Amino acid sequence: MNAPDPNAFSLDINDPEDAELIQYFLTELPDRVDTILAAFTNDDFRELERIAHQLKGAAPGFGFPSIGTEAAKLEQQLKLTSDPSESVETLRSQVDQLVSLCNSYINPS
Amino acid sequence: MSETQPNPYTETSPVVLLVDDSQFVHRLLEARLRSESIVLSSAEDGKAGLEIAQRDEPSLILLDLDMPVMDGFETLRELKEDPRTRDIPVIVLSGMNSSQDKVAAFDLGAIDFVTKPFELTELRARVRSSLRMSELLRMLAQKAHIDGLSGLYNRQYFDEKLSSEFNRTLRHGQSLSIAMIDIDHFKSVNDTYGHPAGDAVISGVANLIMRETRSIDIACRYGGEEFAIIMPETDPNQAQLMCERIRQGCEHLAWSRHPARNITISVGVAGTGNTDTVTITPEGWVEMADKNLYHAKQSGRNRVVTTGLDGTHISLAQAG
Repeated sequence: MNAPDPNAFSLDINDPEDAELIQYFLTELPDRVDTILAAFTNDDFRELERIAHQLKGAAPGFGFPSIGTEAAKLEQQLKLTSDPSESVETLRSQVDQLVSLCNSYINPS
Repeated sequence: MSETQPNPYTETSPVVLLVDDSQFVHRLLEARLRSESIVLSSAEDGKAGLEIAQRDEPSLILLDLDMPVMDGFETLRELKEDPRTRDIPVIVLSGMNSSQDKVAAFDLGAIDFVTKPFELTELRARVRSSLRMSELLRMLAQKAHIDGLSGLYNRQYFDEKLSSEFNRTLRHGQSLSIAMIDIDHFKSVNDTYGHPAGDAVISGVANLIMRETRSIDIACRYGGEEFAIIMPETDPNQAQLMCERIRQGCEHLAWSRHPARNITISVGVAGTGNTDTVTITPEGWVEMADKNLYHAKQSGRNRVVTTGLDGTHISLAQAG
């Protein structure tokens, strides 16, 4: 999984406008990953939910629907748990999944 | 809202305001709406969105529901409560596909609801459709304010605008003048050449008035053969000059239905260069202009009589 996922919006890396969006998203992504990790480390679950919510809404439009799906799962989990600090392990695995997916785009092997 | 004469309709790209806290969404829509002939302006939270909406009065607002500080519902409520922004159509954007949210948004006055992630072809179509609708509403509202024969604003609009312009001018201590214009011997034109000729005279004089007034002026057909102009930011000297231009222009118009007969107008103007000390009511102001019009008629017609609000004569321009 090292190329942008083309299904939902079929972004075309050869189309200049699509390429611009893909490029922009990839440039911004490391920053978002850092924010996710920091929020999780600091138990800032509101911030974590906010970033997850934004990624869910935006990632598919930039050609990364799988990131959107993983972000949606994380948001859902945060919404379902009344006290997220009690289910840190479940959250950690969801955060890890999202972060490693993002990293696979940032540093394609 | 800046005042413009009803015709001609100005052709400019509509401004669409995007209110969303996510940079990604701004970047995405900026790219994806580039092909539409719109100008995209942006705000990152509800408060900033409200301010821009009030200041710029965009043609359409795309409003995200889920924002920190002031959420979309709150923003929408405030937009709909403010007379300046009430009529701007709002498309709500949401990451949640919940019918409860949709119902709430529509009840608050949203025109449409779009869920994220966007289906972009659909979003573009919805933006176009909302812009079309808002343009039609704007034209309809404008039409209700326009006199059919002359194409100028109608009496009702004049009455509405008179007090608001009056208050605005007083608030800012600016200058303001009001002119009343009447076509000389109009009845005899009708009687001699028939009503179609009379109608042609009214629309001919109206066209001249439209041409000689600026976009900030509010020119109306006040009654049968009578016109009125509200001239903001205009002292009586400037108003006198402008009306004199209209008077001279009228005198030289050629009429296909009665080439041998010229049409002239009489004009009464009342104004002030400084509204700081004004005690008159807007109605009293119009009356004063009307009185000057009467004097113009009495002293031989085809002339402009202008006074300041204190009664001082500005100058008496008259035709030879």
